[in-house]
Amino acid sequence: MENEKYKILLVDDDAELCALLSEFLQTDGFAVETLNSGDAAVTRLLQSDEFDTVVLDIMMPGMSGLDVLRNVRAKKQTPILMLTGRGDDIDRILGLEMGADDYLAKPCNPRELGARIRAIIRRTQNGNAPTQAVVHAQLHGIVLDSGARTALVDNTPLPLTGAEFNALSLLMERVGQTITKQEMTEEVLNRPLEAYDRAMDVHVSRIRQKLTAVGINDVIKSVRGVGYQMLTPPTQQ
Amino acid sequence: MKRSEVWHSIKQTFGFKRLFWRIFLTFWLASLLVMTATGYVLISKYTSDEYNQRYFNGVLSQAERIVWRYEQDLANGNVPKGKIKDWISHNVRHRGDLIAMQISDNTGRTIYHYRMNKVPQRDRTVKLVYGLSALPYRVETRLPEAPRIYKQVLYRFQSLQFVFIFIASAIVSALLSWGIVRPINYLGAFSRRYANQQEVATLPRAILTRGDELGDLAADISFMVNKTHQAATNQQQLLHDVSHELRAPLARLQASAAIIEQHTPDSRHVKQIHNDCVRMDALIQQILDYSKLEKGKPTPEACDINALCERIADDMAVHYPGIPLTLNCEPNVTISGYAEALHQALENIIGNACKYSSRGELVEVSTEKQNNMAVITVRDHGPGVDSDEIEKLLQPFYRAGNQMHTSGFGLGLSIAKKAIEKHGGRLQMTRPADGGLSVAIALPINQ
Repeated sequence: MENEKYKILLVDDDAELCALLSEFLQTDGFAVETLNSGDAAVTRLLQSDEFDTVVLDIMMPGMSGLDVLRNVRAKKQTPILMLTGRGDDIDRILGLEMGADDYLAKPCNPRELGARIRAIIRRTQNGNAPTQAVVHAQLHGIVLDSGARTALVDNTPLPLTGAEFNALSLLMERVGQTITKQEMTEEVLNRPLEAYDRAMDVHVSRIRQKLTAVGINDVIKSVRGVGYQMLTPPTQQ
Repeated sequence: MKRSEVWHSIKQTFGFKRLFWRIFLTFWLASLLVMTATGYVLISKYTSDEYNQRYFNGVLSQAERIVWRYEQDLANGNVPKGKIKDWISHNVRHRGDLIAMQISDNTGRTIYHYRMNKVPQRDRTVKLVYGLSALPYRVETRLPEAPRIYKQVLYRFQSLQFVFIFIASAIVSALLSWGIVRPINYLGAFSRRYANQQEVATLPRAILTRGDELGDLAADISFMVNKTHQAATNQQQLLHDVSHELRAPLARLQASAAIIEQHTPDSRHVKQIHNDCVRMDALIQQILDYSKLEKGKPTPEACDINALCERIADDMAVHYPGIPLTLNCEPNVTISGYAEALHQALENIIGNACKYSSRGELVEVSTEKQNNMAVITVRDHGPGVDSDEIEKLLQPFYRAGNQMHTSGFGLGLSIAKKAIEKHGGRLQMTRPADGGLSVAIALPINQ
């Protein structure tokens, strides 16, 4: 995997930090391009599909990271990793809800940044999807096509992000079982669960919202203090 | 409330040390004193010898004139009684000046009589007057009588009206006293409110434009509060800005350290830099949290304490996998408050309990409702704290036993305390008999 150079776009208003991080990530085996403003990032991302992951600072003057996220997500599914302030729970949740793939508190150890980028790339590259074994799954009227990485309800595709698709397929694959947050985070996000980690909760709540929007209610149960469970459907006809 | 607290508040309101009562009593006593003194002066005036003397002088001079006229008439050979009365009544300034008396000569014959019939015997007194003929005449008159106005005043003092005056003076004194004390109390409440809640309200115009010393005091207090608030706000802003600005170089420092690490792996010193960066970042975060708490209050929202505790317990399970944590919740413990501040407070307290526990030592968290308060108790079985250190623990940057080796900055509990105070709640630390530390947080359910 290291032979193939993955292309990263680094967006941060701190030019010096950008230079240092790109030096680090290049040594780590990535091809890195940096931009120092939100406007430039939106223009660049809408033009091109060449980036495997975007590292996006949330706190930027002018057009903030969240604005960039909103603008890009409207048109593209390029994987995005947000850098958020340490205490900003709201920014994180907002970012994940707008479709960011993961977040990392800034300042961070660049090694951790590298690991997160790799985790995102691993799960967004089709070949490594954890649901490879299940080709077609059908539950509660949701049809999962793991080859095309799409979920269909009444033959209409459900707009899911990569993480959401992975979480939904994991839950459907292990229907009736409670999956711990630790396990889900490892399986879905390819990284260990951290303290104060709300990523999985946000992804699951987004899946629920999207399912509710197409009339499928209460199929994913929260098990307090443990994790989540996809309910076994009542005897199918 | 304890009995002593009730007693204290009664003393606060009604105590004789209060300015209200001092002013009230002073004015009231003074007005009563003035009234009593006036009464005394009036009474003593008409009972005095001087008054008596003047009265008898009047009697005697009138009697002498009558006797003189009588003797003249006698010498002229006619003695009509009525004529004397007419004459004397023409010779005094007005009729009221005629003094009641009865004059008889040495044979006992009455020569003059004016309004003595109804005077009882005990009120009569006898004087002697000598005419030009040197004959003695017996003048019988009444004892000096208080003039009408004096009598009326005296009468009022003894009557119900006096009670009214008594009450009226009390009311006037109370109003006066209240007029002074009320603005002072208002100003006191105003500055207390500022000190407790950091809310700057404007004083009402009525109190600022009084024009008296209290008005000046109000203006001064208003000025002081604004100055203090401005200073505090500036400090908060500075703290906030500095902390924020520190993060950028910290991030660069971390990135540089990581690059060095790529070139020289397993460097002890780079590891040290990384650890210190993490510590510094945590400290900056705590300072930011602390300064955020000092800022104004957002609108309170419903906070589910149990859900909050469960979430924190989940986080702790990841953070401190070796510490078993039990959660014992009474159902539906929800308060109106500020979720983020509460989360910080509980996280810091539960986090401390876990941090100071050794592997396998149980941390117990429980929630319950007690008379309009939500009470969260966090109990650990760690080393505990000396009783004299319990108070100091809540000061910023203080750590029990100054254990520099454990991670932390001593800000956690200060943040917790501030957050709890922001909710009008209390934080109490006790040392259970069987070791460890028990922290109880009581939060009002409705603020």
